[in-house]
Amino acid sequence: MAARTQIGNQSSESEEALQAQRDHDAIAGLADDLLPALIAKLAASGLGEIEVRQGGWKARLRMPAPSDESRRNAAKAAKAADSHGHAAPGRGSAVHARPEDRHAVDVEDVSDEPALVAAKSPAVGIYNPRKDLAVGMRVRSGDRIGQVNVLGVNQDVVSPVDGVIGSSLAEAGEAVEYGQELVRIELPEPEPPTSEASVHGAPVGAAGQS
Amino acid sequence: MFNKVLIANRGEIAVRILRACRALGVGAVVAYSEADRESLAPQLADEAICIGPADARHSYLSAPAVISAAIVTGCDAIHPGYGFLSEDATFADVVRAHDLEFIGPSAEVLERFASKEATRRLLAAHGLQTIPGSTMLRDEAHALEEAERIGYPLLIKPSGGGGGKGMRLVRNARELESTFKVSRSEAKAAFGDDSLYLEKFLEENRHIEIQVAVDRFGNAVHMFERDCSVQRRHQKIIEETPSPALSEDARRELAERALKAVSAAGYENLGTLEFLVDSKGDAYFIEINCRVQVEHAITEMVTGIDMVALQIRIAAGEPLGFTQADIASSGHAIEFRILAEDPAKDFRPQSGQVGAYLTPGGPGVRMDSHLYPGYEIPSYYDSLLGKLCVWAPNRAEAIARGDAALRELLVDGVTTNIELHRAILANQVFIDGKVTTSLLDRVGSAPFVAAGNR
Repeated sequence: MAARTQIGNQSSESEEALQAQRDHDAIAGLADDLLPALIAKLAASGLGEIEVRQGGWKARLRMPAPSDESRRNAAKAAKAADSHGHAAPGRGSAVHARPEDRHAVDVEDVSDEPALVAAKSPAVGIYNPRKDLAVGMRVRSGDRIGQVNVLGVNQDVVSPVDGVIGSSLAEAGEAVEYGQELVRIELPEPEPPTSEASVHGAPVGAAGQS
Repeated sequence: MFNKVLIANRGEIAVRILRACRALGVGAVVAYSEADRESLAPQLADEAICIGPADARHSYLSAPAVISAAIVTGCDAIHPGYGFLSEDATFADVVRAHDLEFIGPSAEVLERFASKEATRRLLAAHGLQTIPGSTMLRDEAHALEEAERIGYPLLIKPSGGGGGKGMRLVRNARELESTFKVSRSEAKAAFGDDSLYLEKFLEENRHIEIQVAVDRFGNAVHMFERDCSVQRRHQKIIEETPSPALSEDARRELAERALKAVSAAGYENLGTLEFLVDSKGDAYFIEINCRVQVEHAITEMVTGIDMVALQIRIAAGEPLGFTQADIASSGHAIEFRILAEDPAKDFRPQSGQVGAYLTPGGPGVRMDSHLYPGYEIPSYYDSLLGKLCVWAPNRAEAIARGDAALRELLVDGVTTNIELHRAILANQVFIDGKVTTSLLDRVGSAPFVAAGNR
């Protein structure tokens, strides 16, 4: 079992060194105090995902099935953790991403590849996209993209992030399974990073208990 | 016969059902949760579909998810396996409402046998002796009154429970008073039903069950008994057939009596009638399981009947195609439940990644499991890793083959109860065929584990 952690900064304007230092501290605080409690809670609850907001920060934990994707993410995160190792001093080993444990850290904006996520099916059933869905359309996190019909009851397919509609991965009227990727969501290009700005969303590690 | 069957279960039984479908030439789709993506059944299947998250309430226990999966994959029947939705009358009814066949008894039959208390009354009316017990308990005062009438020691049992879950032993009125409320809230939390009843506790007993099969045309056969007396906290660990506690006449007589009662009560498809047999040899009916049992494989080994295929054929409306006279029980078979539990640490469930994995072979050896090297055991479900079954012409040889097979079985990376099985096989009480259901709990497993390490 792997736990995936996302830590995003809600106040992303600041690029000053002081702000960066505050971000470091906040991330460290989240990692040391909040994360272990959240992980325990997630494991105990049987929920798929937990999101907590604290001040201008939010931390979201997701419990995906071990898959090729999560292994790739684990490897990617481990690489990122190595190159950003200096950004995470004095942290317990429990919150380090270790690929051999398949603990994955989802980190936005650290990859060189274009950031791509997908809206997934909430259930097993027949998929129908929203009538006006078109490539290039802007969506906010939580916006309805389509529906999956489960025995006559529609369940919403929502965008997991703010972004732009990309290619469709399933046709209207197609049978889809739970968790199937239905529509690609492209993330807006990140603003060109300045020297210290890369701390935003820097990996702080994650731990999962199998 | 069906065109395509949705297998709505996990673990070893999903693999077992897949094999039966293939043997029958029927298509199969394995429905799996996100946590079981890498399990053997979805890997082996020609077609598999993810029905929900790891939490069984939103996957294996979700009727809409299971039925929707069957419809979108073009299945015409659903096999529920054991546990989960396998004995849920409402589910069976909804399945039929969607023009699908439920592989098991019909909704009406499940409904008739849903309540243990009502089932005991029904089968008592058809000639089976039952353990003295109470009606549903209204409150604590009623419980105390009933307890006085029946006599201690007593078991407090939830009506909605199964597999020994939620049962509590009380030896006097004081214990009953202190336990009653807890049992009621536990039953409510675990089964969504807080109905409780009392049952006289038989101190030294054996658990013996009769396998039956009834088709839609009223043809009914039994496939003799299984002895499941090796238990830990009411969970079966080792099962064998024939029972070492019954004579040839006694086993035939019990099986015939059980079959007569259950077919007269209108049962249909595969079923198992469970009995407690006391030291005098009196058999008390306790409950019926309206599904395939975990331990069906040992019956297959002594009778040569593919019971899962039979179950599917009956659900498809086929006649049995054989009679009681065609069924013989030959030789002796033993099943060992291989569990991811650490006997040295109070049988705590273990999870982890399987390293090396090697299954035993040789004459009369069978391993039903969903493991393979590198498989990661999810922590969401029960701890059953597989069932090692052995057959031999007689009990002594079956024990010897069992021990040899357990020595060969290798499951690296996770702590299992393999050594406990070997210790039990080497124990004189087991060798003499004198194990009762309370033995492991009374002496504890430590002496067995210690003996096994010699």
